[in-house]
Amino acid sequence: MRQPTTRGEWIFLNLVVLVLILGSLNIAKAQGWLIPPQEPIPVDNGVIDIATLTLEQKIAQMVIVHGGPWNEGQWKALQVGGIHLFAKERQELFEETIKSFQKNMTIPFFVTADLEGCLNPFAAFQEFPAAADITTTTEAFEKGLTEGQYLRSLGFSINYAPVVDLDDQIWTCRSFPGNETIVAELARAYVEGLQQEGVIATAKHYPGKTLVVRDPHKYIVAATIQEEDIYPYTVIAGSVKAVMVSHIITSGTIDSQGIPAVTSPEVIGSLKQSFTGLVISDEINMLGLRDFYPSLDEMYIAVFKAGNDIVLNFNEDPNEVYRMIEVVAEAVEEGDIPEEQIDAAVRKILEAKGFVVR
Amino acid sequence: MESKALVIINISLALVALLLLLQFLNVALPSVGQALFLLDSAEPRCFVAWSKNSSPMLDLGRCCLGARQQLQCLAEEDVIQQTQWSCRTGALAYHLNNKAYHYCQQQVIWQ
Repeated sequence: MRQPTTRGEWIFLNLVVLVLILGSLNIAKAQGWLIPPQEPIPVDNGVIDIATLTLEQKIAQMVIVHGGPWNEGQWKALQVGGIHLFAKERQELFEETIKSFQKNMTIPFFVTADLEGCLNPFAAFQEFPAAADITTTTEAFEKGLTEGQYLRSLGFSINYAPVVDLDDQIWTCRSFPGNETIVAELARAYVEGLQQEGVIATAKHYPGKTLVVRDPHKYIVAATIQEEDIYPYTVIAGSVKAVMVSHIITSGTIDSQGIPAVTSPEVIGSLKQSFTGLVISDEINMLGLRDFYPSLDEMYIAVFKAGNDIVLNFNEDPNEVYRMIEVVAEAVEEGDIPEEQIDAAVRKILEAKGFVVR
Repeated sequence: MESKALVIINISLALVALLLLLQFLNVALPSVGQALFLLDSAEPRCFVAWSKNSSPMLDLGRCCLGARQQLQCLAEEDVIQQTQWSCRTGALAYHLNNKAYHYCQQQVIWQ
């Protein structure tokens, strides 16, 4: 091949090389190859010394992502805390996905589902009664037991149920029927059944009114919380192992001070006064929450700083989830988020996964 | 190589390099989906249907999250609700019009 002789030919050659380099970088990024691999977390006979985890490893354990075969390698490399699975056509697809994800993981993923009854990722092949159809504690317990048995058999560890919002005006099927006393008792029975099968139940959506609000105000819905909205949480706080916090801006009995509940230290702090289990954020990429903050980085920091133990981030791009981890790590290093708070969350997570934590 | 052709090729390559650089740096680039969304003057509409009940859902973010979790989304015209897409699993369905559907497709949980 002859050497380029004109300026145009030199420019052409350089541009071809530049395009090849940039193209390769984009491919590498899409494949997750630019995410630095994390060292395996040392586990000694079921015991983990939290001091042996890096800050990034600790924060990664606090994140639950949407799991799929297209990003399995990246999630495993990042050692995120868990994967959430959406609806699939066949039971075998769930079994294969979970088995593949858990293979060779010294710290297993939480595997989570939204199995409420009418919300049912298994509906293509397995039905369950809707919460709205449950009227007795016996039925509620049976529902929890049956769902727990099924979830456990597939390899799930957390179910984002029961809904203890008092009124479902949108789906009309997600809430137990009745007043706060009845809802609390039905929820308690459901939690007992589900957790008896070794699946963590999640009461949601704290502090309530998430299923009745219809009109979003500037992308974030707002509601007034009353004593009866909180009542079910007071009844089941001693038994349920997880609570999910909603994005809505609340006033009244629980006042989020004009910011989304999920990023309010006051709301989560008040929850933690009576509840010692896992506090889980609702999924953080809903546009309302994203747009409430000037930047994604500020939103990420706010969600972790508020005191959530687990953050749901279903962004399909592992690079962005990794960036979130880095942003939060930097906030910890700068003193904006106490590392003790991160350690306390990770301790709860690892203990929930069955480890002894030193 | 003929000089004019080389200039055109070089300009094209420079544009490609610029797009690749912006893509790598996560700079949001306009897409056909975004163009369709902006050109559509309708209001986004989302309905949740369970059994025989159907209810509007004005929280579009939550609608997108719910729809995304369903088994599949199919083009399905509903004349009464004026929606063109249905995302369903079993008896639960989210019905969206084109505006809402294109909006949802742009969210990071859909990509």
